[in-house]
Amino acid sequence: MKKLTLSERLGLVNYRNQGRSEAKPHILVETDICNSVCPHKCTTYVCPANCYTLDELGQVHFQFEDCIECGTCLYACDQGAVTWNYPNPESGRGVTWNLG
Amino acid sequence: MEDKFDCIIVGGGIAGLSTAMTLARGGAKFLLIERGEFCGSKNVSGGVLWGSDLARLVPNYWEEEEGGWERFVSHRRLTFMDEQSAFSLDFKSGHFAEPPYSGVTVLRARFDNWLAGKVEEAIAESAHPDESFLAQNILVEEVLMEDGRVVGIRAGEEKFFADSVILAEGINNLLTRQVGLQSDYVPADYVAVGVKEVIQFDRSVLEDRFQLSGLGGLSNEFVGFASGGVEGGGFLYTNRESVSIGLVLGMKDLREKKHTPYDLLNAFKAHPAVADTLRGGEVLEYSAHVVSTGDIRGMPRELYGDGVLLAGEAANLLLNAGKAIQGMDYAMRSGLLAAETVLAAKQKGDFSAATLKRYRDALEESFVLQDMRNFQGAVHLLHSPQMFGAVPNLVCDFGRQFFTVDSEPSKKSSQMFRESVKRHSSYWDLIKLGFKASRSL
Repeated sequence: MKKLTLSERLGLVNYRNQGRSEAKPHILVETDICNSVCPHKCTTYVCPANCYTLDELGQVHFQFEDCIECGTCLYACDQGAVTWNYPNPESGRGVTWNLG
Repeated sequence: MEDKFDCIIVGGGIAGLSTAMTLARGGAKFLLIERGEFCGSKNVSGGVLWGSDLARLVPNYWEEEEGGWERFVSHRRLTFMDEQSAFSLDFKSGHFAEPPYSGVTVLRARFDNWLAGKVEEAIAESAHPDESFLAQNILVEEVLMEDGRVVGIRAGEEKFFADSVILAEGINNLLTRQVGLQSDYVPADYVAVGVKEVIQFDRSVLEDRFQLSGLGGLSNEFVGFASGGVEGGGFLYTNRESVSIGLVLGMKDLREKKHTPYDLLNAFKAHPAVADTLRGGEVLEYSAHVVSTGDIRGMPRELYGDGVLLAGEAANLLLNAGKAIQGMDYAMRSGLLAAETVLAAKQKGDFSAATLKRYRDALEESFVLQDMRNFQGAVHLLHSPQMFGAVPNLVCDFGRQFFTVDSEPSKKSSQMFRESVKRHSSYWDLIKLGFKASRSL
C-alpha cells in the first residue's frame, strides 16, 4: 500500500476548535534554550506530529496546532524547555480521536 | 458541606471508568471528570485488553452484539524480523475461542465510550442515581489540598470537594506531579512512544486474509527490524473491520539514534511480510501516545496519600514481559481496587493515608504488582540491544538457511545454527542471554 506523508496522516486527525482563528497554546517552548544550549534538538525528529521544526539556519521553531497530545516532548526534552499542559476544552486545540 | 462527594475521579479512561462502575455498585456518591469530548476521545492504545476483569465489570459482555470491543484474541503470533525475513512463533487454539475470553482487541474511542454508557446505566440503577455524575469535556486544572491532604479539585472557576480523589489521568500525569507523588520531570528512560495506524479493509477480505472465524482475532507482536534498530517492537491486531498496526519505541533510544517515529512506521509497513497483509487497506487514523516501559523505577514514589489514590497508567502500571503488553488490564484491576478501598474508607469514615494504604496492599497482592515485581528482569532483558538486534537477525538468518533448498548438498541444522550464531552473535553472548532469560521469563 502507498506510503502516507505525515501531512496526509495528520489530515486524518480530528482536531478540536478547528474553526477558531485563535486557539490558546497548551504547550510553551522556550526555543531560546533549544537554540543555545541543547546538544541534540531531539524534539525536531522524535515528535510524532512534527510540531518542532528546524529552519535553514538550524534554529528550532514550535507550533502547537498539529499537536496530538501524545506527551513525547514532555519526556524527550531534557533541557527544561518544554512546559506541557492539557489543552483547554473551550479555548484550546488538541485532538478528538475517532478510533484511538 | 452538603454537596461533597465520596469520591472524585479524574479521567474517564479504563482505570477511571472501572473505579466509577465499582463505586456505583457499592453505593457511593461520586463525580467522574473527563477532559475529552467523550470518554475515550483522548485515549490511544495498541491495543489488547488482556485478562478477564472486563467480565466482572460487564457480565457476559460477549453476548452483546454491538459491544464496544472489537475481537477476542484466539490467535497469537510472535515474529522475529530482519530486513527481508520474518520467522514466527504461531499459536492458535480452539481453547481461546470460548468465553470468558482472555483478551479482546479494542479501539479506545469506541471502547471507553461504550464502557462509559455501562457506567451511566450503573449510576441509574444505584442508590444515588441523582448524586453521582459522569462529566465530560471538563479539564481539571488543580487538585485542592488542605493541611497536606487532598480535599477536591478545581476546574476553571469551579471547585468540587470530596472525601477522596482518584487520579486516573494516564501516563502524562500532571496532577500526580502536582500533588508531589511523582517528580515534575520524568526522564525519557522510563517511557516509550507508540505510533499507530488503523487500516480499514472490507470485512470479508480481512477475515479471509487473517483466517478469522466469527469474532476471533489475531494478536501479532514483532521484534527486530520492525523498530529500525531502536529499542522496542511492533504490533498488529485485528479489529472487526480494520487492523491496528504500530510501533512502540523507547524514548531515550529514539532520541539517541535520531530516528523519527513515522518514518520507522513506514519502513515497518513496507517490510515484505507486513506489506502483504496490508495490501488494499485504507488508513483511517494515525495516532501516537507516550506509554510507560513498565520499569518500576519510573513509578510514582507512592500510590496513595491523604485523601488521594493513583490508578492505571498515572501510576505507571504497565508490563511487557515478552508475552503480552499489559496496561489496560492493570488499569482495570487498579481501578477496581481503588474503588473497593474508597468504599471501605467510607464505611470506616476515615480517608487518611493510613486507611488508603489498603489499596497499595491489595495491588501488591494482585497480579498487577506481583507480575511487575517478578518480571522486572524480563523488562530489562527485552530492552537490551541484543533482543531487538542480534537475536532476531540470528533467528531469521537460521530460518533462511534451514528453509532454503537449493540443489546443493545440505548442511546439518546444527552447523547452520553455528554459522548463524557466528554471523550475528557469539555462543558466549547467547549463553549469557539464555541464562538471563531463564531467570527472568
